[in-house]
Amino acid sequence: MADSDEEYVGEISGDDLNGHHVLSQGGAAQPPRSRRKKNRGGAEWEVSRTWESLVEGADGTINSTVEGLLEAGKRKRLLRDTTPLQRGIIRHLMLVLDLSQSMAEKDLRPTRYLLSLRYAQEFVREFFEQNPISQLGVLGLRDGLAIRISDMSGNLTEHIGAIQALRDHDPKGLPSLQNGLEMARGALFHTPTHGTREVLVIFGSLLSSDPGDIHQTIATLVNEKIRVGIVGLAAQVAICRELCTRTNHGDDSTYGVALNEQHFRELVMGVTTPPATFSQRPSASSLLMMGFPSRSVEAHPSLCSCHSDASCGGYSCSRCSSKVCGLPAECPSCGLTLILSTHLARSYHHLFPLMNWVEVPWQCASRSPACFACGINFPSVPSKDQWHVADIQSKGMSISSRYECTVCRNHFCIDCDLFAHEVVHNCPGCQSRTTFSGTSGLVQGADVTDKMDTSI
Amino acid sequence: MNTIDATEHYSSSAHDRPPSLLTVILDTNPHAWAQLSQPSATALPLSTAVANILVFLNAHLACNYANEVAVVASHTQEARWLYPVANPPTKKPTDSDGDTPMQQQRTTTNRPPPANEMNKYRPFRIVEEQITQNLHDLLATTTPKDLEATNSTLMAGALTLALSHINRRTIAWAEAHGGETDPNAATAGGGAGSTTGGGGGSAEVTRSTTDSGLQSRILILSVSSATGSAHQYIPIMNAIFACQRLHIPIDVCKLSGDAVFLQQAADATKGVYMALAEPKGLLQYLMMAFLPDQRSRRHLILPTRVDVDFRAACFCHRRVVDIGFVCSICLSIFCEPLEKGECLTCGSTLEMGDYGAKPAVVARKKKKKKVRAGANAPSATPTPTPTPGP
Repeated sequence: MADSDEEYVGEISGDDLNGHHVLSQGGAAQPPRSRRKKNRGGAEWEVSRTWESLVEGADGTINSTVEGLLEAGKRKRLLRDTTPLQRGIIRHLMLVLDLSQSMAEKDLRPTRYLLSLRYAQEFVREFFEQNPISQLGVLGLRDGLAIRISDMSGNLTEHIGAIQALRDHDPKGLPSLQNGLEMARGALFHTPTHGTREVLVIFGSLLSSDPGDIHQTIATLVNEKIRVGIVGLAAQVAICRELCTRTNHGDDSTYGVALNEQHFRELVMGVTTPPATFSQRPSASSLLMMGFPSRSVEAHPSLCSCHSDASCGGYSCSRCSSKVCGLPAECPSCGLTLILSTHLARSYHHLFPLMNWVEVPWQCASRSPACFACGINFPSVPSKDQWHVADIQSKGMSISSRYECTVCRNHFCIDCDLFAHEVVHNCPGCQSRTTFSGTSGLVQGADVTDKMDTSI
Repeated sequence: MNTIDATEHYSSSAHDRPPSLLTVILDTNPHAWAQLSQPSATALPLSTAVANILVFLNAHLACNYANEVAVVASHTQEARWLYPVANPPTKKPTDSDGDTPMQQQRTTTNRPPPANEMNKYRPFRIVEEQITQNLHDLLATTTPKDLEATNSTLMAGALTLALSHINRRTIAWAEAHGGETDPNAATAGGGAGSTTGGGGGSAEVTRSTTDSGLQSRILILSVSSATGSAHQYIPIMNAIFACQRLHIPIDVCKLSGDAVFLQQAADATKGVYMALAEPKGLLQYLMMAFLPDQRSRRHLILPTRVDVDFRAACFCHRRVVDIGFVCSICLSIFCEPLEKGECLTCGSTLEMGDYGAKPAVVARKKKKKKVRAGANAPSATPTPTPTPGP
């Protein structure tokens, strides 16, 4: 697989010799080469026939199937890998926006340009929500040049303001992927080694008009351990796929082509989750001493030690008690890193992910008439001969509409399952019992299920 | 024809104020209540507090006919619903005393009300009966052995239960009223943080989502102190961030002790934090400070606390610390440098930065001394090094 890709790339780079050159490959019109299995990536939807999976229920309607599909969809989003792996939580990311003429297309509403600006702003917000102590910068590709939109910083409002200001301009000219990557590389050059270096490109064009050989740029990116993710808006572009594959250790899942507005959003927002770190990377990790200062308000204004401005409130350094007016900051007098503990705590659900809950067969369903968390009634247990009727339903979905936490053995409904895993990241059952009585309760619970099983 | 068109009727009803759901988390930690009800000038026994809370709940119900309340008890060994308990058999079969409480409850709920309560507004009566009954059950099932095991309260569990209920009610309300407030859309769109600094841009999103749907808020009546809740640091913080995303303010009414994480909760979710100076006046505090809903609060100056304690709990000894050692890979907090140099959470080998060993101030002084020493040595010779050329 990898070999054939290389060969294909070789041809392109052959074409690429005459300086300012245009690379292009339309994926919607899929040339035979890229119809190989693994290469389809963005185009798998073309073969799925959703209507064929509909089965008429006993009452002649498709209601039950539709509901089942809805639930299966909810569940599909949920079932992800919950093994806690090392994630790079201190991230350095350059967001590269395509501002070329192809972004004026109206296939995504209202236009590709306005929509990507809107999602870029949402992305910035969500990025800092998920990665509170990370850094971000924004670049644009227009007229064959890379334009600096906002510098690398941890300030959310600065980036959003800069992206907002782009609305007044129109997309223009051709994009140059190489120029954008080179500028991003320059911006990421000085970042410390314990953080990740990433580039996310939102690319609406099918071509890249480059001044030199982009393959050399890719090679330097690989050397400097910069990972590139691309969200395409039009169709697959071969050079984008190669770029993602080579900078991500052969994994091309960071390249996605948006099918519609919703999918576009998902692809962009997917990048906000901190990436897994590669173990072969030499770890330059260290234990950092940090202070968690408390906020205080004084009756009379005093000078802060960072800007020498008079203010009534602020945070006082936990080691030397000098006043700092904003966080995160480094204490100007003793050099201690000061941070809000809430910034750190925001990422803890990545560290201790909630276990996936398992489906409950009818055999064990009788012990819970209602959801433990929200109290909604479950469908009652049918007679034994009907237990296997509904087995045609898709995988990952529970026939009894109950989902069980494997630790506390309580049953929950699908909505609480979703809510617990996506929003709260806590199990309502495990949290509302102490571990001491939880274990004894577990044993008793097992006893009860046994009794229930025999009684049915 | 147009005049008798029914659309006007619908449009006017759409402008009705959306109801609000008030979830009260009552900390029923017997250790703390025992201290609080000791005979003194400021004594507040649990029974008086519950009576005050019932009046407060009734006041909330009276504000709007569609308003809802929910009450969760955060006890020492479990967090349990006090109201609503929709169907008594929801009681977990894992209870130590299987069927007896269910039987009692069935009989009590079907019992006709006593004669002096015949004319009481029915929602008030149901709330009062269920809460007192369930609270009585909860306290009756608490054994001395349970109390010896711990003296903290299960705040994280109570918050999670409350959030699950709010989520369920929000979905149900949106379905019934055809609102477009899909919970997933709300969580996705409302993901904008506000503590990360200038979150001004998210305010518009907030208003549009909260105005249309069911408005929810959480009130925590807390009596336990923070030391016991340090082992629940992560679940509590997770719950706080969930509230922040869903724009649910957490109000905290602190009767005794002081809770670090609840201060952070109220601060992060823009709720009211009040430590009562006079616990006896609970009802008045509740009515004045905690009754207004989010919509009214926009026009009020809230009695919120401005000093916030932002300390965190360490992962190794569950101590509450203000200076900690943070793993640069997983951001776990430790209260002291690790002996083996391995992170307890992610297992990566950590080098101790030169932060902890010597503070920057001391380091600078040392450097200066060295420079001076260096400068003194050559000063004996006729030409010191720093002299510039001609």
